[in-house]
Amino acid sequence: MELLAQIVVNGILLGGLYAVMALGLALVWGVLNIVNLAHGSFIMLGAYCSWHLFHYLHVDPFLGLPLTAAVLFVFGYAVQRGVLNLIVRAPMFNTLLLTFGLDVVLADLAQLAFTADFRAINPGYAGSQWQIGPLVVPLVKLGAFAAAVVLTLAVWLFLLHTRLGRAIRATAQNLVAAHLYGVEPRHLYAMTFGIGMALAGAAGGLYGTVSQINPYIGASLTLKSFAIAIIGGLENPLGVLVGGLILGVIEALTTLYVGPTYADVASFGILLAVLIVRPTGLLGRTA
Amino acid sequence: MKAWRLLAVVAALVVLASVPAWGSDVLVQFGINALLLAVLAQGWNIIGGYTGYPSFGNSVFYGLGTYGVAIAMAQWHLPFVIGLGLGVLLAVVFALLLGVPVLRLRGHYFAIATLALAGVMAAIVSNIPLAGQNIGLVLPPLNNDRLFYLLALGLLVAVTLTIWGLAHSRFGYGLIAIRENEDSAAAMGVNTTLYKVLAFALSALFSALAGGIHAYWITFIDPGSAFDITLNVQMIIMAVFGGAGSVLGPILGALVLSAVSEVLSSELTHVAGLFFGAVIVAAVVLMPRGLTDLTRRLRALGWRYFAENIRANRL
Repeated sequence: MELLAQIVVNGILLGGLYAVMALGLALVWGVLNIVNLAHGSFIMLGAYCSWHLFHYLHVDPFLGLPLTAAVLFVFGYAVQRGVLNLIVRAPMFNTLLLTFGLDVVLADLAQLAFTADFRAINPGYAGSQWQIGPLVVPLVKLGAFAAAVVLTLAVWLFLLHTRLGRAIRATAQNLVAAHLYGVEPRHLYAMTFGIGMALAGAAGGLYGTVSQINPYIGASLTLKSFAIAIIGGLENPLGVLVGGLILGVIEALTTLYVGPTYADVASFGILLAVLIVRPTGLLGRTA
Repeated sequence: MKAWRLLAVVAALVVLASVPAWGSDVLVQFGINALLLAVLAQGWNIIGGYTGYPSFGNSVFYGLGTYGVAIAMAQWHLPFVIGLGLGVLLAVVFALLLGVPVLRLRGHYFAIATLALAGVMAAIVSNIPLAGQNIGLVLPPLNNDRLFYLLALGLLVAVTLTIWGLAHSRFGYGLIAIRENEDSAAAMGVNTTLYKVLAFALSALFSALAGGIHAYWITFIDPGSAFDITLNVQMIIMAVFGGAGSVLGPILGALVLSAVSEVLSSELTHVAGLFFGAVIVAAVVLMPRGLTDLTRRLRALGWRYFAENIRANRL
């Protein structure tokens, strides 16, 4: 029973991080209708950005998150403005292909720039943990979880209550109508993608504190982000948070009771089941 | 014009068929890979190009084909042909069973569902003892590259003739109608579910045969290489680069891109992947309808061809 509780806690802590990973993907997908296969590589770049800040400038990985997010925002804005905006109206598999090509380019550039060695962000408090009754809560994972929840809530409030957030939601509903009301689509698309990639960057910075990074972690992170976005739906950041928690807990339980090789089977199996039974996501409607 | 094109195709086929007679071992081996990739691109062309369903599940069919041959030959000591049959059976049954629920999904959702299928298969197979778990299976070797080359070429001809026949049949028109507007197709009396599932199964058939031939040629398979999602992405890239939804485009795409990637990986080992990615990005932006469309319209339009493509698809 204690073991089960510990596993669930681990799953929830990881799930929060998963949610931030998927948040940017869901935002870009829901608003721009682009399924970004390079999403995981943006997370990877965020992780390296955070690693460099930590390793060379000794910036604490959690305090460095805004900087990492800002770097990735600028990069994302440029990519959307310069490349993705050129193919937004192309057939779907052309956008899939383009983002796949982008993924290859980013992963290979990262390998040239940062080598294929595994890196980890290990601040001084990396080994610390809290003991709550019989449960052990590693401080870093708790920090990553807390940051993830704060980010998710911030995105939710931003979309609901700011002028830019409202413009983004209006564009997701109806591009033409939004344009008529004064939204400049090229800029807004780039802003949305930039925000999505800032979230990916922050997720990468957090990921670097709980796991090892190398230039090729992107592909599996993209797949996980998909699973979460599908489970949680694209409309609501809170749905994505729930999706991330569900996936985290299920992966942890599967690893314990069925075996680690089945963790991916469980998550993708759930993804498939959700798609077939309830294609609109477990919570609410997808865009 | 028609006769000229037919002549060109026949001439190309003769040249391809004569490669084992004069080509070096390296060229023949490159040829086997390129031809099998062309078969896979054509298989994807049926479901992705003609029907408009961007399948990421074709690597599953390929993997089932490889495992059909591997299990039959390595575990049961049966002949190659029976293995091929087993692989095709597995893949087609899989396509029929999963096609019904999965093909109900549209657009991105279909793509992601098939992507998930591909992700699940490797993990499932690596837990089946009969399939050699995650260690894989070793097949009895047959050192006859020229035979494998001809098998691959024969399969490519078969799939291409099938697609050519399809493009001129009621069935093919039904698939194109589904691609252009599925609701209208259904309203016009096309049995969309039946058509889609049949297209999926046909796609599965050829992908499985390609997998089976590859397994016997390479004589070793494991779950990671058999159910490789990047292989599926390669199929799509080759089909789209050449021209998805055309009879010869995917072959052109597969042969050109195989050659490019072969040259790159021998000449510029470090940046080969980088360049490949850049080629994909540039191709999608500049020539989204593929090489076949490029060759048809470039002469009339010149450089304006690229500008018009960008204008048509940008925000």
